[in-house]
Amino acid sequence: MKILTILPVSIILNFSIAFGGDALNVVSSIQTLGAIASEIGGDKVVVTSLSKGYMDPHFVDAKPSLVLDLHKADLLIHVGLELEVGWLPPLVQQSRNANIQVGENGDFEAATVIHILRVPTVRVTRAMGDLHPQGNPHFWIPPKNALLIAKALTERFKKLKPDQGAYFDSQYSRFLIKVSELEKKLEPQMRKTKGLKVVPFHDSWAYVSEWLGLEETGYIEIKPGVPASPQHLSTLIGKMNEDKTKAILMENYYNKSTAESVASNTKAKLLEMPSDVGATPEIKTYSDLVTGVVTKIIEAVN
Amino acid sequence: MFRSFLWLICFGMSFSSFAQEVVGNHGTQTMNPDVSIIFDGVAGWWQHRPLSLAGDDPNLEGTSTTHGGGLTLQEAEISFSSIIDPYLRGDLFLTIPNGEGLEVEEGFITTTTLPLDLQIKAGKFRSNLGRQNGQHLHMQDFVRRPLLNQNFLGVDGLSAPGVQLSWLSPLPFYSVLALEAFAVKQSEDTDAPVQTFGGGGRDDVTMTATWKNFFELDESRSLGLGFNFAQGRSSTAIDPTTLIRPVGYGQKTKLYGADLYFKYKPANTAQSYTSVAWQTEYFQRHFDGDDTIAGQNDGGLYTQVVCQFARRWYVGARIDFLGIPKSQFVLPSQRYSSSLTFAATEFSRFRIYGEDEVVTANDYPQISPLSSMAVLLQFEVSYGVHGAHPF
Repeated sequence: MKILTILPVSIILNFSIAFGGDALNVVSSIQTLGAIASEIGGDKVVVTSLSKGYMDPHFVDAKPSLVLDLHKADLLIHVGLELEVGWLPPLVQQSRNANIQVGENGDFEAATVIHILRVPTVRVTRAMGDLHPQGNPHFWIPPKNALLIAKALTERFKKLKPDQGAYFDSQYSRFLIKVSELEKKLEPQMRKTKGLKVVPFHDSWAYVSEWLGLEETGYIEIKPGVPASPQHLSTLIGKMNEDKTKAILMENYYNKSTAESVASNTKAKLLEMPSDVGATPEIKTYSDLVTGVVTKIIEAVN
Repeated sequence: MFRSFLWLICFGMSFSSFAQEVVGNHGTQTMNPDVSIIFDGVAGWWQHRPLSLAGDDPNLEGTSTTHGGGLTLQEAEISFSSIIDPYLRGDLFLTIPNGEGLEVEEGFITTTTLPLDLQIKAGKFRSNLGRQNGQHLHMQDFVRRPLLNQNFLGVDGLSAPGVQLSWLSPLPFYSVLALEAFAVKQSEDTDAPVQTFGGGGRDDVTMTATWKNFFELDESRSLGLGFNFAQGRSSTAIDPTTLIRPVGYGQKTKLYGADLYFKYKPANTAQSYTSVAWQTEYFQRHFDGDDTIAGQNDGGLYTQVVCQFARRWYVGARIDFLGIPKSQFVLPSQRYSSSLTFAATEFSRFRIYGEDEVVTANDYPQISPLSSMAVLLQFEVSYGVHGAHPF
């Protein structure tokens, strides 16, 4: 009798193991972090992203349905530096998931492994707009940073699933090769972007500019969250014409109207940039994102 | 092959050492709680003092026959919140309504790591009952709360020392059941209508049960549906002239209600800056009868729509109905309100609000006025640590 009751249970257990029932549930705040986690985790992880690449990651709606994703997460990967401050903390608090609370093994803040750019050196106030007082959080595109995140994630996965250490290491090596081959492939194009004068919509392209050698000559919305004043725009247009600025970089989720009017008064081309995996339906992996970003910027060179 | 392997190892190693150099180099470390301040200032005029005022309504004085107006600091709120330890989080909200008296609006702890998908909240806090009750003033889209707040839930809503146990159900959609117990204080406000809760002795605990559900219909449309129940004992203030409590005091009371919230907001809001939110709540109340008074049922409803029509502009309209059904404790009345909000940034808002409250004349011929209008201008600012965006 006992055997009869144990048997179905053990069968179910076996099945769940065989069909990946013990895969790590990984939840990422933005899709790129999830895509990097998939590269390292392979079939040992199931990845869900709370926001999609075509959404503004600052203003994701904190829908209660997202609580369910966080509830079952073994690992939460987020950017940090207050990028998600407007929506992620209340969701984590409601998740009733001890694993992903701040400082636990299931909480991974990508910013902690990145060399942060543009940390304000003066005392910031909101008169400067809604800026990030701990530095610029838009760091996930350049390969250098993606690899740092991948390396740290490998270590974290090994901690959460010690028996799969060798697998995660080999996945990391594969990703490393993939990324360096991609960089080699894109090198001829990247050489052309060196010194290209650009005006980003917001100060959110610092890491890409550093990586591709772009020269930022100004910003359209200089104070985040505050629409640009006509005076600022007319000064900017004058300066862009003087500097021969070639491109306006703007995440494809922003409203085009202001940037379009600046572009029409200058020789600069408005580039609606993908800034995250999922920004357009074709961008499905981290490599697609890097290729997409470089290809888009090249449009302004030719 | 071997060379590239070596190169890989070196590359990998150099990365890990680079990573170590920069790890943890951000933010200032302090153990101070997050502090933020929110306040609302109002300038306005009303034809007559409203029949019922909520605790956080702007008080522009006046009487039921004379107009009121002027300026008031509707509410100042100071909040302190922090993670306490690996098990608890703490939140404290102090408010000063209309510049008079410091109140603890909420002060509670929340568990973060309880098993079985449970969460406990304890302290003084706003009940989960309905939708607007749990929200602070700055989450409201109008200058005044809906009429059912002060008429059915309490002058400050249902907010009292208490404990809440909530459970996230394993259903495939968001569904949370919560039980609460509160020690509501006896009403002291002689202007306030009969209060549903707070009567009886110390052991007459106000209990609530709520069931909140959320459905993501698609990426841009979502629906929230809540069912609410509460029971307690009614309370009133002592009549200052006769020194006795008016009829209706100490009856057993029950509240049954439902709330509905529908929101349309494209995933990519910046493309159109259009969104629509529709919110409706209904409560029906039952008073038990005794030798002095027969059992009574009454109810209240409001429905409101708020639309964003430009990057920084929102327009809203709301209708309140009281007295469906009617009882001797609630004047059958309607209130029509509208608001226009300019959100300059995430941290400051300016609002113009108008309302007309109409009491159904044939029921209460002695009541004058029958209609009372108000126009209020409000500013609302928040500063300090970046708060969460309300959903």
